[in-house]
Amino acid sequence: MAWAVEKGFLYLFRFTVFACNVLKSLSVFYFADVKILTSADTKSIEEICSETWEALYRFVYYKVQNREEAEDITQETYAKAYSYLQKGKIAPNKYSAFLKTVAQNVLRDLWRKKKRRGTAVDLDAINPKDYAMDDPAESSAQRHVIESALTQLTMEQRTVIELRIIKGYSVADTAKLMNKQETAVRVMQHRALQLLAAIMKTNQ
Amino acid sequence: MKDNEQKLSDYIDRLNAEQKPDEDEYSANSEELKELYRSVRLVRSLKEPAMPGTDFHKNLVQTAANPFVQKKASAKRKWGWLISAASVAAVIALLINFMIPVGGGNVVNAMEKAFQKVDAYHGTLEIVQSNANGESMTQSKLEVWADKDGRYYTKGLEGASQDFVTVNNGEQKWQVQPGRKQVHIFPAFPDVFRFQFELGNEIQGVKNASKTNVVGEDTVAGRKASILEVTPDGGLPYRIWVDKETKLPLQKETAMYNAIQYTITYSQIDFSDAIPESFVSYQLPAGYEEIQTSPEQIVTNLSEAEQIAGFAPAMPEILPAELVLECIAANQNLVKLYYDALRKQIIVQQETAVGELKPDPSAMIGSMYNGFVEIQSPVAGNPDLRSIRWQQDGIEYTVMGNVSLEQLVSSAESFMNGPLELPSMDEQGSKPQVEVPYDMEVENNEQKSVDAGSSPWRIDPVFVAQVFVSLQMSPEGITGEYPIDIEDLEMTENNGTTAIIRVNSEDAPSKTVYLERLVRQDATGIWTVVGYDPS
Repeated sequence: MAWAVEKGFLYLFRFTVFACNVLKSLSVFYFADVKILTSADTKSIEEICSETWEALYRFVYYKVQNREEAEDITQETYAKAYSYLQKGKIAPNKYSAFLKTVAQNVLRDLWRKKKRRGTAVDLDAINPKDYAMDDPAESSAQRHVIESALTQLTMEQRTVIELRIIKGYSVADTAKLMNKQETAVRVMQHRALQLLAAIMKTNQ
Repeated sequence: MKDNEQKLSDYIDRLNAEQKPDEDEYSANSEELKELYRSVRLVRSLKEPAMPGTDFHKNLVQTAANPFVQKKASAKRKWGWLISAASVAAVIALLINFMIPVGGGNVVNAMEKAFQKVDAYHGTLEIVQSNANGESMTQSKLEVWADKDGRYYTKGLEGASQDFVTVNNGEQKWQVQPGRKQVHIFPAFPDVFRFQFELGNEIQGVKNASKTNVVGEDTVAGRKASILEVTPDGGLPYRIWVDKETKLPLQKETAMYNAIQYTITYSQIDFSDAIPESFVSYQLPAGYEEIQTSPEQIVTNLSEAEQIAGFAPAMPEILPAELVLECIAANQNLVKLYYDALRKQIIVQQETAVGELKPDPSAMIGSMYNGFVEIQSPVAGNPDLRSIRWQQDGIEYTVMGNVSLEQLVSSAESFMNGPLELPSMDEQGSKPQVEVPYDMEVENNEQKSVDAGSSPWRIDPVFVAQVFVSLQMSPEGITGEYPIDIEDLEMTENNGTTAIIRVNSEDAPSKTVYLERLVRQDATGIWTVVGYDPS
């Protein structure tokens, strides 16, 4: 009996050590830049929010391209990051990078849920590219790719894309401005985007 | 194929409405749609993101700091406990909501979101004037049509402008005055006076306010509404009634000033897809005379503009991507280029320079490679409008638009062929040798009085300096002419918050006057002398 109790304790001890190591390695993996800071190094959550929200919102908006989702995801990011920020575990010069990583994880969860709803998107293929967009040089290169792809469309195709997507006009307004039927506008925008996608694929 | 065309169109519509799409590149089943959705997203990334309301980041702090949200994220096992706690919190929140007036952040956000969905609206606007004794009279009644592109049609139903029709269709503005049988034509932009209680402007005003509070509920024109008290930065609080169903403003009550208060109400309002085309199409009524207030001529190309203006207008090869040239107008010694900047407008005016550029007293002074630049952000009296003006090679350029200062600067830089340096807000200018004490309470009251139309000279730093130096020279008071001429005062620095005026007169007891906008740091903020250097 005593032997069994001793063996049980030994297994429990080994399991605890193993669990601690797993947790430690996970925390190192996720928060490589984490260090415990003194209160003098840290800022209030209000200050952090006010200094970082705009860049974070722009980062998220870039990925979702609509205000409704961008607001929700930005909000969720701060809720998830709150305890780390509050405990002063993140160095002030890393706030922005840390929040973007959290936002990226929130987006990843969201895409996973969408994937479960019946699609076969390859997340691993998407993420590296999306991460890369955080780099301004990459972002500017991407912009150049899109702009030069647009120049390869016909004038009419460019106009429909500009009116519908850049200027945000409805199909009805675009039809009026281009003197076309609404059905023709839908067909044109479909063809223009098919061509644009093909050009961007070739250029990239 | 037809199905994909429709789905693609719906996706674009949802993004244009700044709403989460029903299906996107991650949830679509069709490979083709995934690719098309991604292309739409990439093209859309060329434009600036739609930013949230001003209260968004304040609400972020509340959400992030809410213990329920945190526990939901970190302690998933305590569901039962959390649900009970949440229920109790919800009941308490509900009780608080009914018992105590709350901050207006949510109402403001809801208003903004609701307005984004409005394409056009039509209503009857009543303006009632009340005095301190509670006596009221209807000052005027208007029929109003307005759309999200900034076009509008108003018709006076009662009051001084009865039967006057005023229209701005984005291309031109005109006013039909049946009494005189005249139609007055104005440029469509800038449109300094539009109409009161324009929904978009009101919501913007509420967004920019320093404080908003829900202070009660009421019924206006048979509709249930929340009453929002809005305190502008350094101004007197006013009230807005927000329709509980549509989430849009229904009524505004200005602050009581000089015993007069105005209440502006949409006694009827409905929403539609567009303003009827006949209302915004210009046609001179039979028997009416057309009065041109802006005799510029629309031309088709720059060489025609050059012939009329007498100089070759500049047209940069590279312009910010969002600018689309819509129209060129010319007059003798003047050329105007009208640009569309993603539904906003920018005008680049070029005219033969006459004498040196004299900056507007309310303007900031920036610099470019060979001189200084006048920056008005915003233009006094028009909070939506910004302008940048400079002289270069004998031509005076004005770049003006209802866009952000950053957008305007990049447009101006294209015409300057070089960088524009904005004045630094953080820079501490030189310190006065003698400091002049001031009382913030007096300054706050003075600002409110200026907001209500009194002492307009307080928003002109040169004038404030002239009065200050004149009172130094005649402490008993100024009678007749000022002892120091305004021409002897020269603004050497102005970053919109602090200004320095040099006094070029040997008789004056001061050689430099230092001023600050103590209450509000925009074009409506008053200037106060905070110091001087004795001669």
